[in-house]
Amino acid sequence: MKREIPMIITFVSGMAIIIALFVPHPPFGRVEETFNNWYIIISGFTMILGLNSLLGHNLDKVKRKAEGWPYSLTLILSFFITLIWGIVSTIRTGHIFASTSTFRNYYYTYVFVPLQSTMFALLAFFIASAAYRAFRARTVNATLLLVTASIIMLTQVPKGETVMAPVLGVAALLAVWKLMSEFESAASWTAGLPYLLLSIAIVAVYLPIVEVLRTQTTAVNDWIMNVLQMGAKRGIWLGIALGGIAMGLRIIFGIEKSYLT
Amino acid sequence: MKFFEKLAKIDRRIIFVILAITIISPFLFNLTFKLTPLEESKRAFNFINSLPEGSTVIISIDYDASSMPELQPMLEAVLRHIFSRNLRVILLGHWAAGVPLGQQALEKIASEYGKVYGEDFVVLGYRPGLQAVIINMGKNIHATFDNVDYEGTPLSKLPMMSNIKTYEDVACVFGFEAGNVGEMWIQFANARYGVKVLLGCTGVVAPDLFQYRQSGQLVAIVSGLRGAADYERLAKHEAFASYGMTAQTFAHVLIVAFIIIGNIGYIFTQSKKRRSS
Amino acid sequence: MATTIWVWVAAFFTLAILSFLYKDNPFYRIAESVYVGSSAAYMLLFLWSFDVKPKMIDAWVKGSTTDRLILIIPITLSIFMLMRFIPKLRWISRWAIAFTVGMGAGLGVAGLLQGFVVPQIKGTIVPLWIANNFKQTINNWIIVLGTLTTISYFFFSRKHTGVFGKFSRTGVMFIMIAFGATFGFTIMARVSLLIGRLYFLLHDWLGLI
Repeated sequence: MKREIPMIITFVSGMAIIIALFVPHPPFGRVEETFNNWYIIISGFTMILGLNSLLGHNLDKVKRKAEGWPYSLTLILSFFITLIWGIVSTIRTGHIFASTSTFRNYYYTYVFVPLQSTMFALLAFFIASAAYRAFRARTVNATLLLVTASIIMLTQVPKGETVMAPVLGVAALLAVWKLMSEFESAASWTAGLPYLLLSIAIVAVYLPIVEVLRTQTTAVNDWIMNVLQMGAKRGIWLGIALGGIAMGLRIIFGIEKSYLT
Repeated sequence: MKFFEKLAKIDRRIIFVILAITIISPFLFNLTFKLTPLEESKRAFNFINSLPEGSTVIISIDYDASSMPELQPMLEAVLRHIFSRNLRVILLGHWAAGVPLGQQALEKIASEYGKVYGEDFVVLGYRPGLQAVIINMGKNIHATFDNVDYEGTPLSKLPMMSNIKTYEDVACVFGFEAGNVGEMWIQFANARYGVKVLLGCTGVVAPDLFQYRQSGQLVAIVSGLRGAADYERLAKHEAFASYGMTAQTFAHVLIVAFIIIGNIGYIFTQSKKRRSS
Repeated sequence: MATTIWVWVAAFFTLAILSFLYKDNPFYRIAESVYVGSSAAYMLLFLWSFDVKPKMIDAWVKGSTTDRLILIIPITLSIFMLMRFIPKLRWISRWAIAFTVGMGAGLGVAGLLQGFVVPQIKGTIVPLWIANNFKQTINNWIIVLGTLTTISYFFFSRKHTGVFGKFSRTGVMFIMIAFGATFGFTIMARVSLLIGRLYFLLHDWLGLI
């Protein structure tokens, strides 16, 4: 029974939602609304499921005086200070986010926001460092990725188009150089011919491409995003969506049960 | 080619300092570049601009402080445009940690335009359950939020809400997205109830949304700080995003330069290896 | 005055986190602990303000007898969810989890079918020849080719050789262009976040700009 009842609950709730999609009339529409309302109430509690282990783990560290315990103590203290502050603020102003709530205007604005946003700002440094070390045009595909990324980066910013000529110039030179060294080391003249032709093509399209990028920057950006890259995104997401549907049905029909462990 | 080998071994902290200086300098020297708005940003602006006076826009706060520099100025620019056109706003959110950001922006811009709570804008706050909330709003907005605004004031006491029961009574949803909530607005509010959806997104999210534009499920995508700056310019009120974009140009050029230098070094060392072998 | 002190607090936390770039250090660890601890409390307060109070307590107080009877079910399941914290009663929490999982799966399937798969396939069925509109014709070809070749790349039940192999390799090129666009946008986003923080330090804290 410990497994059967949850599986029945999953089946009934999942099927109710799917049936309501195809038959939105009563009683299914009403059942859907009620189930949704229950889901709204219950799913909130999933937000705090990790709370127990977070506090338990850190309390344990403080008790054992394990390495780094002062940080665990800081964590626990800040949990309780924040909680008490929030409760006091709620009692005094009626709601935690009332416009006069000190919790919102001081804790949220000057503690929570800077901490969270700076955590994510660190990523800018790491991505810059990675750009320097890791992004190499090792293959044709990697080159496509880097060139698209660079064009997008430069068309997304004002005046970015002004450096387009030298940037693409260096990229073209590097490509031609690499292709020519392939041409040089090719077994026969005919085997190397494609490399030579590709090099000539790159030189030939360089100026027109730079000119278009320079004069119609926003249109090019719009075209890359809405046309050139869009098909692949659609393909990828269709794959993910079909996988998601299959997974959802497996859960509803009780084939996938890992959530019960 | 020792030079390139040395270049490849630069301490990452030096790169960090160079990046920081690059971003700070345009601010210190008060440099600003004029920009031409992107087509996508114009689409969003023109849509809002075409709404009849008195229409209501649902604003959804689906981000938090981790993407505040991109979306907060965008939200403020959009709100300025909305209020300058005498449209109304219902604010709610699906990211627990971000709702107060939306509220603060709304209070700030509403007071700039002398707008009154309950008549010109309402804050519904947050309910867990994302898709369930979006679906139920299509049946009854009041009931979904238990007939109260975020502070517990009955919605029946707020004059603006008397005419708004479902999505049929609003002009569009404008979501500010740092995750997948925007797609939920499309997949549930648009697909099921036909609501027009516009999304203001972080740069990370935006590229995965363009297929919805082509299929006609989405009106427009305003993306990242650039989108915010575009919107500020279109709404003729330049603020943080517009100043920030100059620093953005400097940083992008620097990063592209990093990629190029890294690759020159790579190709030199590769050809050297090949020669020696 | 109060605001000035709080701006200093915010600046302290900002710098403490940024100090991680030099190396891991006690200031960073303190800021991190404050962040984790206080956001846990924040979530708890949020749950109370936007779920428990309006949807359980107020709904119970204001509701009719029928409303209350219906409300008993979600309230019970929510309490079951909390049983996860008690090892002996942990199994009861599965009932609540089963409901959220079932709903999540149902909502996911419904949304993806109606809101993604059907309209996206419709969106891909575009005319491949439009008279007098060469540009749109080319664009439609790119969209259709991009979508189909990408799908073919993820089609693993057939060997990627011959014509099919070429088709799927074209797909890889489209995928790389798409990743390049995402990558460019991601760099833009990360840099913007840093601009935001540095602007805070220079403008709000130091008042230099």
